[in-house]
Amino acid sequence: MKRLGLFLIPLLAFGLIWVFLLQGLFSDPRTLESTRIEKPLPPFTLPDLMQDDIRYTEKDLTGQVTLLNVWGTWCITCAIELPYLAELQQQGIHIVGLYYEQDTDPDFGGKTLPQIRQEVLAKLGQLGNPYAYNIYDVNRNYSLDLGVTGAPETFLIDSKGVVRLHHIGDVNPQVWQSKFVPVYQALGEQVAP
Amino acid sequence: MNKRVLVALLAGLMMNFAIASTDTWEFESPQQQALFQTLVHELRCPKCQNQNIADSEAMIAQDLKRKVYELVKQGQTEAQVIDYMKVRYGDFVYYQPPVNTTTVWLWLLPIGFVLLGFILIWRRPHQMTDVMDEDLLKQADSMLEKDQ
Repeated sequence: MKRLGLFLIPLLAFGLIWVFLLQGLFSDPRTLESTRIEKPLPPFTLPDLMQDDIRYTEKDLTGQVTLLNVWGTWCITCAIELPYLAELQQQGIHIVGLYYEQDTDPDFGGKTLPQIRQEVLAKLGQLGNPYAYNIYDVNRNYSLDLGVTGAPETFLIDSKGVVRLHHIGDVNPQVWQSKFVPVYQALGEQVAP
Repeated sequence: MNKRVLVALLAGLMMNFAIASTDTWEFESPQQQALFQTLVHELRCPKCQNQNIADSEAMIAQDLKRKVYELVKQGQTEAQVIDYMKVRYGDFVYYQPPVNTTTVWLWLLPIGFVLLGFILIWRRPHQMTDVMDEDLLKQADSMLEKDQ
């Protein structure tokens, strides 16, 4: 009996550690629990990226299901997802851009607004334009309010302005199928698979 | 001579560190300065796996530092600033995890292991020689003799 115990205890310990380490292999430490899920968008008043006199607030993102896509021309992964987003837009998905720029900081070189606009137009002309419009997050304060850690990130917002999904990284066909389509369907929206 | 060069080089290195750590943040009082320094060392960069925002050059860390600076200048307390960040980036952003049903094991398990150790020592049989098998000993002895 004692021998059996001496044999079983290390085996059991080994098994437990094995299970613990094995699940570590499949967990991505970069996936953080978003704090904004199932909550209404925090309030904001921000200008249009292309026209200073147009202002948007959180109310502009209500009334229909919207994808709020956080991006910038400096972001490489954003350029990879742009064509796919443009495809989704063709299928009738409403996509709004939340644009932010790192180069406006004096530390980074102090890029001017006309320069940014030119780069945005060039990028969208080259890769396709999925955006109904782009909100310009001037000081990146709104990104901070949303808990954005980088770009690209995409929020799915229902017609009442409540955040239903926060995806970090690019939107591609696999991610679209596994993460976005179920939420759209739960909201009673028709989306092409 | 060689030593002097070495000392000069080391001094140069240290000067770099000194410059890097002061940054460009200016405060009205040394208390605010101290609070800012505490906060940027306690808050964790959400993009990096294990760096505080003082250490990180990631854009998000720069943004968070700027925000901490703003909030400290407004006169907010340490707890207020930490709450502000937690609302946006979750518990991940602060290095001290909260005690709840999932994290309580971080404290309970080590205590449990120590207790288990004590119990095992306490219950250990006192005379280890009893475990020895007489037959086996004899066998071993005869083997040794054969060798000689």
